[in-house]
Amino acid sequence: MARRKRSASSRRRLQHGFVVLGLLLALAALVMLVVLNHRVTKEFEGRRWTLPARVYAQPADLYVGRQLSAARMAAELDGLGYMSLEKPDRPGTYRRKGNELRVHVREFRFPDEKQAARELRLSFAGNAITRIRDASGTDVPVVRLDPLLIGSIFPIHGEDRIVVAPEEVPALLPAALIAVEDRKFESHHGVNPLAILRAAFVNVRAGQIEQGGSTLTQQLVKSYFLDSRRTLRRKAEEAVMAVILDARFEKADIMNAYINEIYLGQEGRRAVHGFGLASQFYFGKPLAELDLPEIAMLVAVVRGPSYYDPRRHPQRTLDRRNLVLRVLAEQGVVGPEEAERAGKEPLGVVEAGGRTGGYYPAFLDLVRRQLRRDYNEADLTEAGLTVFSTLDPLIQRAAESSLQEELQRLDESKRKAAHGLEGVVIVTTPQTGEVVALVGGRRSGFDGFNRALDAKRPIGSLAKPMVYLAALETGRYTPASVVEDSPVDLKLPNGDRWRPENFDKQVRGGVTLVRALTQSLNLATVNLGLDVGLGRVASAFEQLGLAEAPPELPSMMLGATNLTPIDVAQMYNTLANGGFRAPLRAVRAVLGEDGTPLKAPQLEVSEAVSPEAIYALDRMLTEVMERGTGRVAKNQLPEGLVVAGKTGTSNDYRDSWFAGFSGAHLIVSWVGHDDNSPTGLTGTTGGLAVWTRLMSTIPTSSFEPLQPEAVDLRWIDYFSGQETSPYCNGSAVSMPFAPGTLLESSETCPPGTDPSLLEELLGIGPDDGTDAPPVGQEPAPAHSEIP
Amino acid sequence: MIRWLLFAALLALSACSVAPFKTGSATTSTARQPAPTTGSGPEIKPTTGETVIEPEPEQVIEEPAPAVVEPPAPRPRPKRPPATLSPASEALVAQARAQRKKGDLPGASVALDRAMRIEPNNPLLWIEMGQLRMDQRNYPQAENMGRKALAMSVGDDATQSQAWELIAQSLRARGRNTEAAEAMQKARAAAPR
Repeated sequence: MARRKRSASSRRRLQHGFVVLGLLLALAALVMLVVLNHRVTKEFEGRRWTLPARVYAQPADLYVGRQLSAARMAAELDGLGYMSLEKPDRPGTYRRKGNELRVHVREFRFPDEKQAARELRLSFAGNAITRIRDASGTDVPVVRLDPLLIGSIFPIHGEDRIVVAPEEVPALLPAALIAVEDRKFESHHGVNPLAILRAAFVNVRAGQIEQGGSTLTQQLVKSYFLDSRRTLRRKAEEAVMAVILDARFEKADIMNAYINEIYLGQEGRRAVHGFGLASQFYFGKPLAELDLPEIAMLVAVVRGPSYYDPRRHPQRTLDRRNLVLRVLAEQGVVGPEEAERAGKEPLGVVEAGGRTGGYYPAFLDLVRRQLRRDYNEADLTEAGLTVFSTLDPLIQRAAESSLQEELQRLDESKRKAAHGLEGVVIVTTPQTGEVVALVGGRRSGFDGFNRALDAKRPIGSLAKPMVYLAALETGRYTPASVVEDSPVDLKLPNGDRWRPENFDKQVRGGVTLVRALTQSLNLATVNLGLDVGLGRVASAFEQLGLAEAPPELPSMMLGATNLTPIDVAQMYNTLANGGFRAPLRAVRAVLGEDGTPLKAPQLEVSEAVSPEAIYALDRMLTEVMERGTGRVAKNQLPEGLVVAGKTGTSNDYRDSWFAGFSGAHLIVSWVGHDDNSPTGLTGTTGGLAVWTRLMSTIPTSSFEPLQPEAVDLRWIDYFSGQETSPYCNGSAVSMPFAPGTLLESSETCPPGTDPSLLEELLGIGPDDGTDAPPVGQEPAPAHSEIP
Repeated sequence: MIRWLLFAALLALSACSVAPFKTGSATTSTARQPAPTTGSGPEIKPTTGETVIEPEPEQVIEEPAPAVVEPPAPRPRPKRPPATLSPASEALVAQARAQRKKGDLPGASVALDRAMRIEPNNPLLWIEMGQLRMDQRNYPQAENMGRKALAMSVGDDATQSQAWELIAQSLRARGRNTEAAEAMQKARAAAPR
C-alpha cells in the first residue's frame, strides 16, 4: 500500500494502487470461477456418467406343485409393489379371490430372455400351486416374477440409490417439479434473481429464513456438496456454480440429474436420494408406476424431507400434497377435476422398512466382493451392469427376524451377560452353494461392520466334525469304534502344557465315535485326533473348503481356530452336500448395459471327501439332533423333519455357534459380543436357538444323506458299539459300515432279536459298565456341550 | 463246457477281489460286473456271465491265486425306479437344450440354474448341467457333475448309466482314453436291458 504523502504523485500512486487492487480482485474472481467451474462440472460429469451396477434378488419361480399358498403369493406380490385391484389390467397389479389369483406381471429383462408383461391366472389348493394359465387359457409350466431390486453398487461412499433413466420417469414428475419449485426453469440461466429478491423480502419480514428462492439447478448444486449452511458466501458460491452448470449443460440433463440426486428422506443412517429410491421407500414400487397423488406427495416432500415426513407427520404432508395438487391445477399441469379427485386419496405410504425394495447391505457387500474378482471397481460403479444375485428375500427376512427376536428374548432374560448381543445368520442351498440369505448384525439395515464376512472368532466344537472326518477317511475307524475319553496332558512346542477338559469335567473311559461326537466330548475327540494325526485333521478343514489349513496345534481340534461365519458356511456346505464342495456364490449372472451376458461365477462342484466317510459323518451329525447337544431343537421343528448339525462354544462362553442343515438349507448362526466378552451362552442356548427359530419358519425338506453303494446300515449300541437289535431299548443307532466289517455282538440284545420278544427284554439295558443311563435320562444337552 | 464257464466266472470273481471293494453292487449280480482293468484277464468278457451259475462263496476262498482278503459285497439293496423330471424342470430342460442348440450357452445356464433350484436332488438335472459344461469345454466340471449325479442315483441303473456316459465323454475330451473306456463299460453295464 502507498504511504500517505501530501503530494500529487502520491495521489497518482493511490489511483494506481486502486487499479492494481481492482485487477487483483478480478484475478481472484477469475481464479474462483475456474475453481468452482472445475468442482461443479467434475461432480456433475462424474455423476452423470455413473451407472452403478443394479443388483436383483433371485426371481420367484412359479410352477405347478410349488409349495406356496395364495396368501403367501399375494404377500410376495405386495413385497414387489404389485397393487391389489379389482381389475388387474396393467402390469404391476393383481387380484386374489380365495384360491384364485390373477396377476399382470411386469415386463422384465432376465439374463436369458426378455419376459413380456403378461396376465396369468393361478389356482391354489391347500399350500400349493395347482394350475397356471395365461390369458388365453393355455397352461404355463413355469414362469418368473420380476425380481426385487435390492440395491446398486456405488463408489466408496456406499450410498445406495436407484438411478432412473429419463424414459423411466413419468412425464408428470418434471412438470410438477417445475410448477412447484422453479417455474422459470426452462428459461433462466441457473439462478432466478426475482425469486431470490422475493424470498429475501419474505425472509426479512419474518425475521428468519423461511422461503428459499433457489432454482432446481441451485438445489442440485447444494445437494452435490452436501453443505446446508445458509451463509451468504455459500449462497453466492452456489449461485455461481448454478450459472456455470446451466451454461455448460442441457436443461434435460440437469433435470435428470436432479431427479436422481435430490434428498428425499432418511431411513436410519441411510439417506434416501433420488426419486427412484424414494418411490420404493415411500410406496414400495417403481417410479414409473406412480400415479398423480403419489407424485404430488414426493414433490411435496422435496421442500423438507424431515418436516414433511409422511410417516411422522401425515397430516402436515397431506396438506402440502394437496397444496401441490392445487398449484398443478392452477398451472394447467393437470385438470382441476383430476387434481380434486387426487386430493381425496390417502397418502398411501407403505410401512417403513418393509418394502423399500429391500435393503440388505451385508449381502450386497458379499455380492460386491465376489464381483471384484471378475470386474474392476469402475465397471461396477459406472458400466451399468445388471447383477442377478442369489438372495431369496423371503428367507432373508425370516433370517433377520429370527435373529432379532432371539436376541431380543436374550435381552429380556435374567442373564446379564447375554444382553445387547450381536449375531450373524448365513443361509445357503447346499447342492448349489448359493448364499440365499446373509445377516451381518442385529440391525440388518445398518451398513457397518459385516460380521458375517469379517468377524474372525474361535469356532469351538464346530471343529470336531473335521477330526471325525479325518478319522473315518483313514478307514481305520467306524462310528462304532471305541476311543478313550481319558485325561490329556500334552507338552506343546513352546513348552506350555495343554490339559483340556470335558465340559462337565467328567471322564467317561471308552466311548463310541458316534457318542463322542454326539455329546461333543472333548477328551475323546482329542485322543482320536492325536491318533489320526494333526496333519490329517488340518487338511480336513482344507478339503471341506477352507482356503488355508489351520496351524497344526492340538487346540485346533477343539476349535481354537479363528474363522469367519462365511468360512464356516463354506465348510459345512460341503458336509451338507454329501462331500461335494461347491464354492459359495452370491451372483448368478451379470449383464452388460446392452444386455449381453458377461462373465460370472458358475455352479461348480468337486468331490472333496470319500462318499463312505461323509455318509458316516452325516449320520453321526443327525444323531446330534436326535440325542445330543442339538436335541432341544426337536420340539420346535416341524414333526418328522430330519436335520443334522453341530453346536459350538468357545472358551468362557464368548461365542455361541450352530451350524446345521436340512435337505434344502444350511444355516450357520453365531451369537456373541463385539468386544469378545463372555455371553454366558453355549452353542445350544444362543446359536441353536436362532437356528431353530429360522429352520422352523422357512419351507424346507428333510436331510437324506446319500447312501453309497459299498455300505451296509447296521444297528449298533450307542454306548458300547456292539451290534444290536433296534427292538431292545432306545440306545440302538443305525450306522453305515463297509461290507464285511466285523462287529462284536451285543450279549443282552444280539442282532436279530425278535420284536415279539420285546416285552420280555424290556428293562434289560446294555451293561457296559459306564455311565450308560437309558437315553431318556441323559444329562441335559447343555451339560454335555463343550467349550 | 460248463467247467470252463465256471472257471471263467471264478477268474472274474478273483479279479473283483483284487479291485477296490466298491466294485460290487449286489451279490446277485456279481457276475455281471464289468471286468476291472486291475484284474488279471481283460480277455474275459463279463457278457459271458449271464449264463454262469452263481458260484458259492466258499469256492472263492479256495481259489489259490491272490492272497487278498475277499471284501464281501454289500447286502443287496432294492433298486430304485429311474429318475424323472417334474413338468416344470422338464420345460426348463427343453428350453436349455434349445438354447444350447442355438449356441446360447449363458441362456442355457440360467434355465438349468432355475430347474436346479426347483429340484436340486434330481440327478438328471446334474447330468444336463454336465452336458452344458461339455459344450462350454469345461470338461473337469462336466465330470464332476457326472459324479454328483452318480452319488445321487445309487440303485437307479438308468441314471447311473447316463452319468457314466457323461463322465466317459468328459474323460475322452481330455484324452484320458483308458479311463474313458472304463467309464463307457460302466455305462454299458448299468444300462437297463
